[in-house]
Amino acid sequence: MKKRAVAVLLAGVMTFGLAAAGLTGCGNDSAEGGTENVRLMVWSPQNDQSKDNGEWLQTMCNNFAEEHPEWNITFVYGVADEASAAGQVAQDPEASADVFMFANDTLTTMTDANALAKFGGKYREEIEATNTQEVLDSLIMDGDLYGVPFTTNTWFMYYDKSVFSEEDVKNLDTMLEKGGVSFPFVNSWYLPAFYIGNGCTLFGDGTDESAGVDFGGQNAVDVTNYLIDLEQNENFKIDDLGSGIAGLRDGSINAMFTGSWDANSIKEILGDNMGVTSLPTFTLNGEEHQMKAYAGSKAIGVNPNSKNMEAAIALAVYLGSAESQRAHYEMCGTIPCNTELLADESISSDPVVTAQNDTFNNTSILQPFVSKMNNCWTPVENLGKGIRNGSITHDNAQEQTEGMNEAMNSDGI
Amino acid sequence: MAGQKMHSAKRKRFINNSIVHVILAILAVIWVFPIVWVVLTSFRAEKGSYVSTFLPQSYTLDNYVKLFTDTTILNFPQMFLNTLLIAICSCILSTFYVLAVSYCLSRLRFKLRKPYMNMAMILGLFPGFMSMIAVYFILKAIGLTEGNLIKLALILVYSGGAALSFQIAKGFFDTIPIAVDEAALLDGCTRWQIFTKITLPLSKPIVIYTTLTAFMSPWLDFIFAKVICRANSDQYTIAIGLWKMLEKEYIDNWYTCFAAGAVLISIPIAALFLYMQRYYVDGLSGAVKG
Repeated sequence: MKKRAVAVLLAGVMTFGLAAAGLTGCGNDSAEGGTENVRLMVWSPQNDQSKDNGEWLQTMCNNFAEEHPEWNITFVYGVADEASAAGQVAQDPEASADVFMFANDTLTTMTDANALAKFGGKYREEIEATNTQEVLDSLIMDGDLYGVPFTTNTWFMYYDKSVFSEEDVKNLDTMLEKGGVSFPFVNSWYLPAFYIGNGCTLFGDGTDESAGVDFGGQNAVDVTNYLIDLEQNENFKIDDLGSGIAGLRDGSINAMFTGSWDANSIKEILGDNMGVTSLPTFTLNGEEHQMKAYAGSKAIGVNPNSKNMEAAIALAVYLGSAESQRAHYEMCGTIPCNTELLADESISSDPVVTAQNDTFNNTSILQPFVSKMNNCWTPVENLGKGIRNGSITHDNAQEQTEGMNEAMNSDGI
Repeated sequence: MAGQKMHSAKRKRFINNSIVHVILAILAVIWVFPIVWVVLTSFRAEKGSYVSTFLPQSYTLDNYVKLFTDTTILNFPQMFLNTLLIAICSCILSTFYVLAVSYCLSRLRFKLRKPYMNMAMILGLFPGFMSMIAVYFILKAIGLTEGNLIKLALILVYSGGAALSFQIAKGFFDTIPIAVDEAALLDGCTRWQIFTKITLPLSKPIVIYTTLTAFMSPWLDFIFAKVICRANSDQYTIAIGLWKMLEKEYIDNWYTCFAAGAVLISIPIAALFLYMQRYYVDGLSGAVKG
């Protein structure tokens, strides 16, 4: 393993040194001759390209090509899911896809690598006309729009309707009296929901890096104390490494928190009893507080190094259009965020769609994507683990909470 | 009196042996435990990544079937073939490199011999993946990061540095009496003939060892495959494929298949080892015939 360093220097240069000049000479730009020949590389998650899901991406790209006879487009498909696309593109923007999908929390990774194009003019107007301001905000940095949103990305609550009534699921503590609830307690994408619910803030409104994180103070300590009691509640189970969905399967758990990616599995388990809704409130010191999830969006981005910018931008906008989002929903179950589609009866009647959008609009905050957000994950996770293993108790809650706040505000690890 | 002493010594040995065996048995169980669990999970019928029981409630072969038939999302057969091809090619190449370099350094005397050994030692101190991004850009400059050429790129990456890990084989070659070489030279052998006809047959254990390690490292490598394959899913190796199965979108449906895949990837290594094990006899036994 170790010696790969020189591996390629030796083998590559020796064996291929001579051929190098010839090979690089005829790289990607062979289609550059006519004005019509366009080569577009498109990356998406495997799901969107699988035959089981009707090859959504290929279908949409072919439709796009038909709509634009002025270009003779050759599509090259690659696989990169939204979460890891940023890393792949930032690694080498020049050899990356022209059009790709990314999760909005990776926005700064790509803008730092100069790997994300801005949308302007009529395209921006078109995008703005069909999306809510919250969704747009997730892709705007310093006033510039960086992607075409195609779905929101957050988590919400699934529950067993035979155990909880619609009234019960409005409050977590009521639920705990009636049945088993599982929550990803040691996952820092989920756990801050309680803190944010009690007035803790991240970077001011989420964009002001200098404002820092406010997870300290009495309100945060109260939440830590609440969490310690929650963990000890016998109806409460920590969801870790898939134990939540397993508990749902064997009936030991009646409600869990996850996102749309588990919708099909849960539907299979609960059948008609599957209930899905936005986040409940929790009762702290006699008052009800709303849990608030981190929310973001997934969007289609364009590589500024693309040789065919116009076609690439047009394709990105097309892939995020109402028509494509509808197909995406029907073929792959991706929940649309286009406002026209959400008004459509056939889509809004799906409870998962409603739950996700309710969560996005009402019980979430925009997940900050400033660089310092990277410091906020481990301390929260450690707090969750500390409560789980009993090292954080009511006695040291104050001190531990302050410690977490300090760690979130520091650059050290 | 003497008989009694003998008796007590025997008894002592028996007690000692029993204790040792009990400890060994416990250790063996602990070691084998995770493997047994993976094998059991690969036959588990219940879905999901987490179960509350150690033994599966019911057994099935579906996980293996799914691995090879459900290829639209994660094409396991393709990944398996990719990896097999890469591993076999780089195994042959790097075995040859290692043995040839070791032979040269053990038997020949040339000016750069010492500097080369020092350099190899120092380079060996650095972890290979430190240079992975540089390696990627060099490969890109040569034009090896697209399409099927990725396989070639990976073969080069896995085998190219092999010549730096000559130490063990060289040490073994050093133990073969140089008189054997001299006798062969007098009889008119060339260096190449000495290498292939005398040194290699006498060094079977080390050839086996080199082959096995040369096969295993590309077979199991994740980091270079990930950096070089990037979005080309048709070039993925099994390590990337197995990793993909654990992503949050797939884990619930694919976890048991992941275990099945983990069992399957151990088969080629096990087969190679079993096949080569019979050569693990003392290679030098024939050398000192006189």
